[in-house]
Amino acid sequence: MMGVDLAAFLGLFGLTSAFAAIALVLAAWMCWRIADKAGLPGWSGAVAILLTLTGIGSVVSLILLWVFAFMRWPRDGAARVGAIGGPTATPPGAAAGAPTAPAPTALALPPVSPPRVLADRRGWSLAGGGVTLAFDDGRAAYTLTGEGSGTAGELVVPDPSVGRPHARLLTAAGRIGLEDLGTPGGTFIDGARLLPSHGPRDITSVRAIKLGNVELALSRT
Amino acid sequence: MMTVIAWLIGLSLFALMAILVVHVLVALLLIVPSWRIFERAGYSGLYALFHLVPVIGPFIVMAILAFGDWPNGEGKPAVPR
Repeated sequence: MMGVDLAAFLGLFGLTSAFAAIALVLAAWMCWRIADKAGLPGWSGAVAILLTLTGIGSVVSLILLWVFAFMRWPRDGAARVGAIGGPTATPPGAAAGAPTAPAPTALALPPVSPPRVLADRRGWSLAGGGVTLAFDDGRAAYTLTGEGSGTAGELVVPDPSVGRPHARLLTAAGRIGLEDLGTPGGTFIDGARLLPSHGPRDITSVRAIKLGNVELALSRT
Repeated sequence: MMTVIAWLIGLSLFALMAILVVHVLVALLLIVPSWRIFERAGYSGLYALFHLVPVIGPFIVMAILAFGDWPNGEGKPAVPR
């Protein structure tokens, strides 16, 4: 009887061990993918899970989860216009009370290399939705809006899905940035959603942005 | 006899409540960072509440993050430098 109980116990133990091993491998694989999506090396996610195999237990994995949640992800590492010496002043057309990005701090920003000032002094053009908007770095900031209010620096995209105002274009040292002002239609950069919390993003190398339902192709003029 | 049974039932309920409270506290330690990760990925933070599901909750959370397309973009920096 004792032998049967022992065999059953060992069988159960073997079964649970197999489940635990499968769960561990599955978790490591998924964390690999999650870390990869955040722009980190995939192996770092897997290692964070596999640390539970060590004597230090799962507390370290829990700590690493908190670190991952609140650290700066390389995916978010696009150059901020403010970080390269761009303007941060609010243009006259910006809506009062519109969500604004938190001011970049020394801790939040990655170490930036010296700004690369482009010799190209051409202007830009945004084309789509039946309009072509031309602008240059003669102004520090432009407001993209669905309806003009007569304020200087407005770029009007007449479409119901475009907010009034919708987004802000910032120019500095031959580069161009885009900041969402929190309208429901949303702002997209090459298909990726830009949120007000992201602040200004460098779109100098970007080919297409989307304001609400309007796709605008960005090019040099 | 009835006193013993009542005592056992009471003890069981107490143990059950203790397990439940510990489970929720542990889940909270996972929900808070997961909520932020979901929001940074572009999902609703409410997905983090899957951690309340016993045993498989964290796997559901990981699967959503690992196999879903992050609305806020993923991988390399969203905008090239």
